[in-house]
Amino acid sequence: MADKPIEGEKKAFMTGNEVVAWAALAAGAEIMYGYPITPQNEIMHYWTRLAPKFNRKFLQTEDELSAGFTTIGGVLAGKRAFTATAGPGNTLMQEPMSMAEMMRLPTVVVIQQRGGPSTATVIYSQQEVTMTTYGGNGEGLRIVYSTSNHQELFDYTIKAFNTAWKYRFPTFILGDGYQAKMRESLTIYDPEVRGIEMVPTTPYVLRPGQIGVNREPNHLRNTYNTEEELYEVLQKHISAYNEVAPEIVEYQEFGTEDAEIVVVSHGVVFRSCKGAVQELREEGLRVGYFRPITLRPFPGEQLRKVAERARMLLIVESAYGQLAKLVKDAIFGCSVRIEGLFKPGVGITSEEVVTKVKELL
Amino acid sequence: MGEGRIVEAFIGEYASGKSENAVNRALMLARAGRKVTLVDLDLVEPFYTLRPIARKLEKEGVRVIAWETSETMGLGEAGSVLKPEMRWALLAAGDVILDIGYGVHGAKILNMLEGVDQTPELKVYAVINIFRPMTSTVDAIVEFVRSLGRVDGLINNSHVGEETTIEMVCQGARVVAEAAAKLGLPVIATSALKPLAEKIGPRDCVGNPVWPLQRFMDASFW
Repeated sequence: MADKPIEGEKKAFMTGNEVVAWAALAAGAEIMYGYPITPQNEIMHYWTRLAPKFNRKFLQTEDELSAGFTTIGGVLAGKRAFTATAGPGNTLMQEPMSMAEMMRLPTVVVIQQRGGPSTATVIYSQQEVTMTTYGGNGEGLRIVYSTSNHQELFDYTIKAFNTAWKYRFPTFILGDGYQAKMRESLTIYDPEVRGIEMVPTTPYVLRPGQIGVNREPNHLRNTYNTEEELYEVLQKHISAYNEVAPEIVEYQEFGTEDAEIVVVSHGVVFRSCKGAVQELREEGLRVGYFRPITLRPFPGEQLRKVAERARMLLIVESAYGQLAKLVKDAIFGCSVRIEGLFKPGVGITSEEVVTKVKELL
Repeated sequence: MGEGRIVEAFIGEYASGKSENAVNRALMLARAGRKVTLVDLDLVEPFYTLRPIARKLEKEGVRVIAWETSETMGLGEAGSVLKPEMRWALLAAGDVILDIGYGVHGAKILNMLEGVDQTPELKVYAVINIFRPMTSTVDAIVEFVRSLGRVDGLINNSHVGEETTIEMVCQGARVVAEAAAKLGLPVIATSALKPLAEKIGPRDCVGNPVWPLQRFMDASFW
């Protein structure tokens, strides 16, 4: 039995789902709870193939509600636990993740978005943005990383475990069916060789010691008696979230200093937009891009600065305006013109983005 | 290439390059003037199958047995059923290339076909890419190939996409050759993208024939 899943670092060629399984192994995840749904199945398949080799565990539950709650159970017991899902599974996952939000528990959920609403397609979309950032009956006190390639899937899956355990907010990797199934090369590594230290986990229940004698009770609640009692707790959670948000926020921008049109996109669609912007720049056109990596917390202040300089924002997404909602909310009051290239459940090529930008210039 | 009938099944790890190798093998035979039937036996995966490129391959003279997307329903949700022509494909006249989908069952899908016993020419080849972590070492390849059931030869398809170097292909050839020796199997070929294959020449660093690959599967995502 190998000690470490990955020794040092090495070049590999894989599908995105396998990347997630390897990243979770490398991050020291101890157990995955899950229920099958395309297009995330191979995360489970590879985890179950690899887990016995590295002394990790897996539990297949009866549905995603259960997968989410058992993930919370694992976390409460002090395990570095995670789950993965997609589409209707993500819908069910909102109930347990609301509980994690209320109890301030570190959970990691990998989402590979598929077409919606409902069962729709097993293939691809960016239609789970609203649900992943603000789903559940709460205030969206979550962290959502939207990846665009296999290297990022690997890097951010590892990072998600540290973000979750450091800040104690439910953390999501938002991928999609294209990233799940696509094959490309990346460098996989043992986090240690990159100087990444994994935040240690700790049990939240059955802690050593005796309550009232040598330790305080660790009262984890998702039930409150009165409005005021809940209000007070939520105020604390909301200010804690707002306080750490600036250190969590991540984004990329290019050409925004002098751009007339700034293309805003996230996830795999960003690849097309980046290619389109580079092509348009080579033609001498003043076009730039802004890409939120964290969709929650959203890099609002950073985008506002860009929006105040630009003539127009073109929001491009494989959904009917879910990213656009986040953008509009973040830059409310700014007078920049906003246009959209919305293709719910369908991929977007850089040619389409180039054509759209030229129409608008 | 010889005069006799060629019947080959390509199996292997998920995303190992089975379909790309099967398609190119079928084309290689068709271009040599042979009659070829290519069969899509991927019953699990709705992505990267031959469906979207079937017409294109038929124009190149390969008969393709695959589902049309419009004939299917609930792909990826419910798996696929075997198309009747698939079941009888081995009995077709001429060469037959089977592209067997991923899944834990390896060569077992052959049980669903008629005429396996009457096809002594049948060879089952496992496609190996050492840059896939599940098959990155000699021991891992040996363990994996043993899990597949019947295998008659290995194909070294080691690559990391467009960044692949001659050295990487050669490294793959050495590892796959060592695994093949342990398994008592021959290495049938090393396959590599055409520009790289041309640089390597007709034989790789350990003497395997080199099959140049033309990319088709990148156009077949769905």
